[in-house]
Amino acid sequence: MGRRFTRRNFLGVAAMAAAAPVFEVKPLRGIDFILQNSPTPQKYLIETMPGGVALFDYNNDGLLDIFFVNGGRIANPLHVPENFDRSNPRYWNRLYRQNRDGSFTDVTQAAGLATAGNGNYGMGVAVGDYDNDGYPDLYVTSYGKNVLYHNNGDGTFTDVTAKAGVAAGGWSVSAGFFDYDNDGRLDLFVTRYMEWDPDHNKICGGDWHTYCPPAAFPATTCVLYRNRGDGTFEDVSERAGITAKKGRALGVSFADYDGDGFTDIFVANDGMQQYLFHNNGDGTFKECALESGAALTSDGKGLSGMGTVFQDYDNDGRPDIVVTELPRELYGLFHNDGQGAFSYQSLGTGLGALTSGSSGWGIGLEDFDNDGWKDLFVAQSHVLDNVEQIDASLRYKELPLLALNHNGHFERADSGVTSPWAARGAAFGDINNDGWMDVVVTTLGGPPALLLNRGGAGNHWLSITLRGRRSNRDGYGARVQVNGQTRYATSAGSYVCANDKRLHFGLGSAEKATVEVLWPSGQKQILNDVRADQFLEAGEPEHS
Amino acid sequence: MISLLLLTWFAGQAAASAAAQHIQAGLDARNQHQVDVEITEFRKATDLDPRLLDAFFNLGAAYMEKRDYASAIAPLKRALELNPDLPAAHQLLGYALLAEGYAAEAIPHLEQVGAQDALAIAQLETGHLQEAVTNFNAALAKRPNDPDLLYYLGHASGLLSKNSIDALIAAHPDSARAHQALAENYFVLRQMPQAEREFQEALRIRPDLPGLHLELGQVYANSAQWPKAEEEFRAETKLQPGSAEAAYRLGAALLQQGKTPEALAELKRANALKPDMPETLYSLGKAASLTGDSATAEKSWTRVIELEKDSSLAAQSHFGLAALYRKQGKTDRAQREMQEFQKLQSTIGPPRSE
Repeated sequence: MGRRFTRRNFLGVAAMAAAAPVFEVKPLRGIDFILQNSPTPQKYLIETMPGGVALFDYNNDGLLDIFFVNGGRIANPLHVPENFDRSNPRYWNRLYRQNRDGSFTDVTQAAGLATAGNGNYGMGVAVGDYDNDGYPDLYVTSYGKNVLYHNNGDGTFTDVTAKAGVAAGGWSVSAGFFDYDNDGRLDLFVTRYMEWDPDHNKICGGDWHTYCPPAAFPATTCVLYRNRGDGTFEDVSERAGITAKKGRALGVSFADYDGDGFTDIFVANDGMQQYLFHNNGDGTFKECALESGAALTSDGKGLSGMGTVFQDYDNDGRPDIVVTELPRELYGLFHNDGQGAFSYQSLGTGLGALTSGSSGWGIGLEDFDNDGWKDLFVAQSHVLDNVEQIDASLRYKELPLLALNHNGHFERADSGVTSPWAARGAAFGDINNDGWMDVVVTTLGGPPALLLNRGGAGNHWLSITLRGRRSNRDGYGARVQVNGQTRYATSAGSYVCANDKRLHFGLGSAEKATVEVLWPSGQKQILNDVRADQFLEAGEPEHS
Repeated sequence: MISLLLLTWFAGQAAASAAAQHIQAGLDARNQHQVDVEITEFRKATDLDPRLLDAFFNLGAAYMEKRDYASAIAPLKRALELNPDLPAAHQLLGYALLAEGYAAEAIPHLEQVGAQDALAIAQLETGHLQEAVTNFNAALAKRPNDPDLLYYLGHASGLLSKNSIDALIAAHPDSARAHQALAENYFVLRQMPQAEREFQEALRIRPDLPGLHLELGQVYANSAQWPKAEEEFRAETKLQPGSAEAAYRLGAALLQQGKTPEALAELKRANALKPDMPETLYSLGKAASLTGDSATAEKSWTRVIELEKDSSLAAQSHFGLAALYRKQGKTDRAQREMQEFQKLQSTIGPPRSE
């Protein structure tokens, strides 16, 4: 789809100008979770970085459930070896099952997730069915050891970290399941932020006494685990070329940006160049962000990369990259120009003007108004909890950014949020199955927020669940095209979060859709005359 | 009576002879860098003969050598009582008084010998700022790039400026200029809300004062309030259509908002008003690149590199050219520009985020 300004688009824009807020901020009924980041006067950097949220249907009842990652208790002062005592329930990660009436029930203990993460300080979460048994599994990242929970399919989870060999260690932040070798089994990528421990903590800002910038600490490497298919994983980080680059990685997103059939990795690094690991298709990756144009701003400056999303914002069929940043920088938008090249388009798309004074974390490119163009939502808040003292023009708590996409140009819209948050994670999904994408946001020291899409009249939608056979069961890595729009199947992206795995498409006024799926196995599938406004399950054909 | 007089005369002769011996001993000690012996000998000479000019001068000089400025003052003053036209004594006494904080007293002695650097410091400390600036400039003409002189000149100029502003604010507290001056102070202190308030007040009083919109625009630009910055820069370009800076700032604000065609036009105008400004050319290249005007982008960035071979802007221009050539499929040229960018980065450091 080009960038023509059609009458329908114009009407859409005109309608939007007078529209009510897109979301209604609703209490999450039955959810009493508070993200315990435990800030101390020591300004331990971990305090300002959690925490993740996952939207996934753990019991396959058709309703999205919610898993929250908690930070943990931090002793003041804290020393190595750290022990984040999380035996008190207020520090637990939490799993909430959605009920038919839209309320939630805390099933943490019943699911075997109580005291989970004890000893570690929680960060993020990834969701993927690594054993293709039809039940989504959980991977929780931490400062400390990460944990893989196998979904037993009966409402309970089992910690299989030791057997699987995926504890990682160090300071992990975001993670994502993807199938890098197209063997039908989900592999796992984990970002790690820096070499840090409380004994080597630093306090910056002179009299202001605040968190130090990332450059104050040594860089480190990310981790790639290959799924052996027997319930264990192999750390292939070095062999695959991932450890060739040290960084300060926070966010990660996946897509096949050059159409070679293999999923590539984008890593959002904080305060430096970004990394784009091109999948060579032979089990190795080559970091090529600089030569591809996705490493730096158009001024050749590094980015304070935090959250990231790797989807096609301008409907040209190629996945683009958006990275959230700190104020005075602009959120980075790298347009995929084709042939492996990206160009920095933060200014040309209007995103720069919307973001130069904000700090962004969780991010999603979703079609919130179902007009056929993916919009941007960003959870915002400064890193420093005392930033107002340092720079009066900045704010620690911020409103989230909702930017509606009009033919590839972003314009601010009313999200419906009226009070600012110290937001971090943002996960995206259709919580109430009404065909309109919703958002769950985590806030430091506070409760999560549900932004329930008010919906609207007129526009149609389609939600697709993939069922892989030769490919991994959830079809992660598949390219799905609907009426000229493209999405890459993944639950990863944003910051420390896992999104609804269903692929959501706004159809505008179209009541029918043509669906084309390019499966990771290489199979192509076309579904014609698909009725709009439904949850479609697309199964991978047995034979090509 | 006669015998008494003779006795006195003989005693005087003996004392003079003894004082001369001590002076010689003092000079010998000076040659051997024995400053304490030097002081002892010269002091004995002054005790023996209170009218012995050499003794007092050399004692003062010895104390100066020892950096005991307080003790140097009395013998040097006595030397000048004995001979008011001794330039070396004036100079040393001037230095000693200045070092001890008697700047006003030091000034006539330093003026006598034309010691411009020390004189300027004394004038600075006594609040004679205009004269101090004049003398620092004169001293700098003889010793260009002297760090102490440059520091003092900056300090004196700053105080002079502050005094003028203080006088302005005291005399005309409600004037536009007073509000402008206050706003500029707040801007330097990064107190942007206060700076904004004062600039706005200045503009309310004299909306036609050149430079005010430009400065207020920079307050907004500093806090990334680009639409407001654009508004102010645009107002400045209306007031001063010939101001290349106003045109450049407006172009940059438009660029930040993604208004690339407008930015390109304004930056072209800025470049026409004042050609070969690297900042303007760099932004012009960016705007041209974003609007698809590759020729202008290439020309602008190439010119930046010609003007500033090893600056941060040159590095950024190489980076811009690499992206431009990559988009055009000119891989070799893109790689060359990227290498130049990386080479400059390794020498001048990576460009910093603002």
